[in-house]
Amino acid sequence: MTEKWNITLRIYRQKTGELPHFDDFAMEVDPNEYVLDAIERVWAFHDRSLCFRHACHHSTCGACGMRINGVEKLTCITVIRDVTHNGATLKVEPLRNFPVVSDLAVDMGVFYRKMEMVGARAVLPVTEAEIEHPPATWQPEDARYIRLSDCLECGLCISACPVAATTIEYLGPAPLAAAQDVGLRRSPELLTIIDSEDGLWRCHSAFECTAVCPSFVDPGRRIMNLRKQAIGLKLTKLFGKPGVPQP
Amino acid sequence: MPKSHVIIIGAGFTGVAIAHDLALRGCDITVIERGDICNGTSGRTHGLLHSGGRYAVKDKESAIECIQENTILRRIVPQVIEPNGGLFIALNESDLSYAEQFIESCQECGIPLDELTPQHALQLEPNINPKLLSAFVVPDGTFDPLRLALAFAATAKHNGARFRTFTEVEGLQIDGQGNVIGVNILDRTSNQRMGIRADVVVNATGAWAGQITSMASLDAPVTPTPGIMVAYDQRLVQRAVNRLNVPGDGDIVLPQRRMVVVGTTSFDAENVDYIPVVEEQTKLMLERGSELIPGIRNAKPRGIYMATRPLISGGSGRSIARTFKCYDHKQTHNIDGLVTITGGKATTLRLMAEKTADVVCAKLGISAPCITQDMPLLSYREYYAIPN
Amino acid sequence: MNNQPSSKKFLAWFNPLGRQPGSWAFILSRITALGLTFYLFLHLVVLGRLAQGPQAYQEFLALAESPIVKLGELAVIAAVIYHGLNGIRIILTSFGIGVAHQQRLFYASVALALAGTVFFGIRLFGG
Repeated sequence: MTEKWNITLRIYRQKTGELPHFDDFAMEVDPNEYVLDAIERVWAFHDRSLCFRHACHHSTCGACGMRINGVEKLTCITVIRDVTHNGATLKVEPLRNFPVVSDLAVDMGVFYRKMEMVGARAVLPVTEAEIEHPPATWQPEDARYIRLSDCLECGLCISACPVAATTIEYLGPAPLAAAQDVGLRRSPELLTIIDSEDGLWRCHSAFECTAVCPSFVDPGRRIMNLRKQAIGLKLTKLFGKPGVPQP
Repeated sequence: MPKSHVIIIGAGFTGVAIAHDLALRGCDITVIERGDICNGTSGRTHGLLHSGGRYAVKDKESAIECIQENTILRRIVPQVIEPNGGLFIALNESDLSYAEQFIESCQECGIPLDELTPQHALQLEPNINPKLLSAFVVPDGTFDPLRLALAFAATAKHNGARFRTFTEVEGLQIDGQGNVIGVNILDRTSNQRMGIRADVVVNATGAWAGQITSMASLDAPVTPTPGIMVAYDQRLVQRAVNRLNVPGDGDIVLPQRRMVVVGTTSFDAENVDYIPVVEEQTKLMLERGSELIPGIRNAKPRGIYMATRPLISGGSGRSIARTFKCYDHKQTHNIDGLVTITGGKATTLRLMAEKTADVVCAKLGISAPCITQDMPLLSYREYYAIPN
Repeated sequence: MNNQPSSKKFLAWFNPLGRQPGSWAFILSRITALGLTFYLFLHLVVLGRLAQGPQAYQEFLALAESPIVKLGELAVIAAVIYHGLNGIRIILTSFGIGVAHQQRLFYASVALALAGTVFFGIRLFGG
């Protein structure tokens, strides 16, 4: 016997040339299902004009990022029970700091250009996926295996970052985290891209990015680590011997 | 001579791969998609880059296509693939008795395979069922569904294809002879309607093929066949793990990022726009998945979802051939200007596109050959990075 | 199109709803920074008065006994302790030290700022 809740989805709507507004949809939901399921049902059965992005439904594509009650979430893995209660209103808005294409879909162009610019790795060796407590099941020879990188390029971190809110020039958590993953040891030329007033040093340690990342990237920690790498590289350049290749 | 204008309806795997192929052959392309890329079945694909082992015994045509395309995709789009191979493991006598025909069939189809002792298999994958009786290694892989499509779409866009997303096809434009000459669309971002002319319209809507063909008063030979997937929150294996036996429910477990995904089932459905998750099937995935990988019982589900395969009609459930068919409706119903491609699987997207593009180019009098098998794709990020 | 980043959105910095402790740290640092800058300005004005001779200074000392000014000084103490400690937290984390503990470091800064405020509050206002 599945539990049923009655909630209201209050969804942000914006069409070209019109002012944004919110539409309310009364929905019967199973509290154990995901927010994306409810949004999809709004589209399927109530309003076909609702524009939103979704693809994989299991946190690998990063398409379905939205703000739920003001907080950035990947809606395909956000259980309804965790964000609201029976009889409540669930506010659904697009991510912040990206131009709205329509309703809940935003323009990710600038963000993806930044990810390309830092050469973010889409696939990498399994053992290079930094996590603090690797599963006991991983063996040393697992370095041979390639896996998709943790970062889904979902944009939640950009939406949550207070600095990204004030300027589009700021590289942002995900691109900086990706630069850290590539590493200045592997790509010292990255230094010129990240070592700028809109790069590495613009972060003010709010750590919102780490808090909202649904995929264990921990951009805050990576940005701080990248600072360590950058300072190390600059000191080496300053004191290194001319003609000797720098790390 | 002006380029032929081809409209492709649907931006799932088939649509974007056809856009890529036809753009390279010199066509002017407009892709029309009512949601965004991979909105439908393609986005929710399990993500198995088939070696063909699964089909070798009962569906050799599919198996050969799979191993050939597997090799090509590893070459042209490595950015979206976890290329770590796959295991077929036998857990009981029934599985074991399947082994002989499995080996023979794989060899017939050109699928490289190696037999492993259970000890060796457990060394490679410590989390598989320790009671396994035998194991085979095949060149399976895992891919990111959206990014695979984005890579094709990005390259097509770079070569001039236009993508109109959040745009719904409301009707086909039909001339006095009953031929399709364009589409009538509703742009959902602006609520504007307009008509677009085309020399050929390609119906690449997969499970929704019937909706488009009905606009020309045709039936599409597609049987929408949904199935469940359950993603768990631990990456318990590094490679695909398949049950060695005839294809059944819940007999594939794939790693993907920090998860494992168990799939799938097969049943009929009427309404393809939304398939609710069936709890019994979730339980079935847990049962069958943990037969292969016992650790799944201690993992938490991270995502549970349904995806609707577009199978070619003429059979039911698993016996429907997994190959694809391209229908030139001039030949099927004497309605020119409309081509439907349906069936197929993600692994063969490029081949489906090649065959469809061949049909389209024949209709348009274009003799350029297909060159997609050797064309490395652009970074998937270029799809968003290149402005519309 | 709205929803774009814009420098006007700096006011959004001060909205802590649904945000993490890291944002609170960020907000409080900015508020205390503004407050301390204003205090510095005041301090320079006071010193200016000193330069006007002992009479002006006596007037200032009388004013400094008033409860409002004392409260202001207490606020400055709280701000200095918090801003200084959070600043150290930021310096540490910026060099990759203690990033995993950044939330605890923030709570510690707040706790020490409160403790200091209570201590000096008693000294300022107590017998």
